[in-house]
Amino acid sequence: MSIIQLNQLKKQYSGNYVLKGIDLQFSAGEIIGYIGPNGAGKSTTIKILTGIIGDFEGEATVLGMDVRKNPLEIKQRIGYIPEQAALYEVLTPNEYLDFVGKLYQLDEATIYKKGMDLLRLFELADKADMRMNGFSKGMKQKVLLISGLMHNPEIIFLDEPLSGLDANAVILVKEILAQLKQAGKTIFYSSHIMDVVEKISDRIVIINKGEVIADGTFESLKSEAHKGSLENIFTALTGDSGYESTAHDFVDILKN
Amino acid sequence: MDKLLLKLVYLCRRLFTSQGIDFSRMMTIVETKLTMDKRRVYMNWKQKQQQKENANHLNSILFFYALMGIFIGAVLFAIPSLVLGMILIHSYVLFMMSMTLITDFSTVLLDTTDNQVILPKPVSSKTLFMARLVHILVYLLQFTIAIAIFPIGLAFFKYGAIAGLVMIVTTLLTVLLAVFLTYLLYLLIIRFSSEEKVKDIVTYFQILMTVLFTVGFQILPRMINLSQLTQAFELHWYSYCLPPVWMALTIEAFHNLQFDAMHLSMIGLALIVPTFTFWAMNKYLAPSFAKKLAAMNAGDGIKQTVAVVVVQQRKKQLSQTLSNIACTSLIEKSAFEVTWKMTGRDKSFKLQFYPSLAYIPVFIFIFVFKSGKDIATVWQYLSTTSSYLFFFYVPMLTVSGSIMIVAFNENYLASWVYHSLPVYKPGELVSGMMKSLFVKFFMPVFLLLFGVCLYVWGTAIIDDALFALFNNLFCFLVVANLTEHYLPFSRQPNTQQQSGKFLKAMLQLIAIGVTIGIHFLLIKTNLPWLLWLLAPVMAFASLLLIKRLQNLKWYQIAI
Repeated sequence: MSIIQLNQLKKQYSGNYVLKGIDLQFSAGEIIGYIGPNGAGKSTTIKILTGIIGDFEGEATVLGMDVRKNPLEIKQRIGYIPEQAALYEVLTPNEYLDFVGKLYQLDEATIYKKGMDLLRLFELADKADMRMNGFSKGMKQKVLLISGLMHNPEIIFLDEPLSGLDANAVILVKEILAQLKQAGKTIFYSSHIMDVVEKISDRIVIINKGEVIADGTFESLKSEAHKGSLENIFTALTGDSGYESTAHDFVDILKN
Repeated sequence: MDKLLLKLVYLCRRLFTSQGIDFSRMMTIVETKLTMDKRRVYMNWKQKQQQKENANHLNSILFFYALMGIFIGAVLFAIPSLVLGMILIHSYVLFMMSMTLITDFSTVLLDTTDNQVILPKPVSSKTLFMARLVHILVYLLQFTIAIAIFPIGLAFFKYGAIAGLVMIVTTLLTVLLAVFLTYLLYLLIIRFSSEEKVKDIVTYFQILMTVLFTVGFQILPRMINLSQLTQAFELHWYSYCLPPVWMALTIEAFHNLQFDAMHLSMIGLALIVPTFTFWAMNKYLAPSFAKKLAAMNAGDGIKQTVAVVVVQQRKKQLSQTLSNIACTSLIEKSAFEVTWKMTGRDKSFKLQFYPSLAYIPVFIFIFVFKSGKDIATVWQYLSTTSSYLFFFYVPMLTVSGSIMIVAFNENYLASWVYHSLPVYKPGELVSGMMKSLFVKFFMPVFLLLFGVCLYVWGTAIIDDALFALFNNLFCFLVVANLTEHYLPFSRQPNTQQQSGKFLKAMLQLIAIGVTIGIHFLLIKTNLPWLLWLLAPVMAFASLLLIKRLQNLKWYQIAI
């Protein structure tokens, strides 16, 4: 029984198809890396799976439920961490966590305790009552991470989870994702940072221009592309191998 | 106040739950949003005081509005005619609500963070919609109460309970109209332009609002001759188009128990138009509005090319032409052009500086017509006075303020670029910036006023104008030399500690005062050739001051 299932998923914005029929199945307990260049349709896919966009073609089921029919139940059992550190900046971390926690129907005392403990782990405890508009992107991302995981979801969707985090936090988040996997959670995350995906993903799906162009373990993708690192596979698969000549031109123009 | 209103919402708990709304989640959202309202930086309030982190700005604004309400309410006592007084008050409510909504509520309305924060959470769309509605209602009611509580109270006091009660209703109807007008405006803007444009237009409204506030308080008391308002109100055909008139006549109808055809039709208009437009808005406009907003922020997938403002059409820009004339080196030119462009595009500069330009006509008006005689008489004898000095020198009072403002920018970190480049004469960055400010903000105003003076006084004042121009340039440069030197747009906003600020402002006033005094004395000496002689002297002095700026060393420039 697959935990996430997509059948002929299509999505258009005013006649423009950004997803052109995606077929995918994932089983519970996997870490799924969903990669593609900007505008490939990564975020759109995640938004459909998390019930944010309800207007699409094809079928999408999460936890055995249709995302169109039971969006609320799905949302209660999954966690979603958006990109670009989107949160209410004028609130403090504690206030924000309280707000989100209540929407997940956690009680106030639990939210506070969990929130503080988690903030402490992220070394943000001393900033728990400061407004977030002065926070760096990485700090906001940490708060977002906590807010999306506090209700202990079964599936975790992350959209570019590591963008803006400092090197230590990246290692910490990677470790947390690995531990979450140990605890039986399914993790679905999008990224364009290759080396991160390579190390922690059980399965890698590469999409480009709304279509899946590769799907498999890192090893299988590697043998497919006959090249060493995933970055090369990626460029080979997405046809973006013109970088070298671009770089050459760049330096050439500087000389004049 | 919001606490009180929320209690009222709690009383209606049953009503919400019976509609299938998750009450506790709804209240969580509403309460959070109200907290955020309190912490928002309110544009109209920004200049008045440095906002402290924990101060509740919203309450200060509400208090201020309530205070203004007392004065507006006093109109009821100043004007014997009930209808006229009510028209004024309802116009005021309509205007204030629309302006508040346009300038401050835009941040709420246009904020699409909601979509990313709340949509992924288990909240049904019905609950979210209701939460938004309740939030907007509480927000509106807070402002309505602040704006109208004193006028309504005074109406109760003067015209009795019936008029007062009807006025509560008409006030609410007026607020509905204001909401509709705002909505319509936004819809039009969004329909025809991009998100950036919307923010720009909102900025212009904010500027307009600040101008009206500051100018209104200066001019209105001088303009309103209360004796003219005592006459009875006359109904013209166009009164049927003016909502405040409907409202006022509705109150009159109930107060005098007059229910003739005219009054009945007014009551009809007062009731039907706001409710109908509000209904239409909810039914037809709101969904398309929401869709437009969603599309704006859809991000992934549709990268809208419309949002990119095409600035440069590869033709030579005005600033480049002017910088060629005004500047002596490439570095200076570069500072000239960057200042020119940024001052035209940076929102916070525009908000801080442009309203102060409105003071120019206000002060000229006050100085020229201060004598207490009526305007027509002053105008008649204007050409025999030397009032043109005001026209020539008032602009500098506000334009020199730009020197302080131009140092600040939200993107202040970007000024690293000056420090990393091989700038041999950093003073040229400062002088280029000053030249740009002078040419961009002073010259047009001066030329315009010069035109006015030519019309009133004739060609005899050309020598005065020429002298005044160099005199102004000299003053401007004195101020520029006296203030601490900053590179353009290099300072973090809200760090205006400036201990010696008052002293410097005084020095600036003295400098301008002295030059005006000299000019005045020169006129008194009746030696017209003296002005022609002294103008080049001032020009030369200005040149020396520019040279001094150009030769500033790095250690003389504050970071």
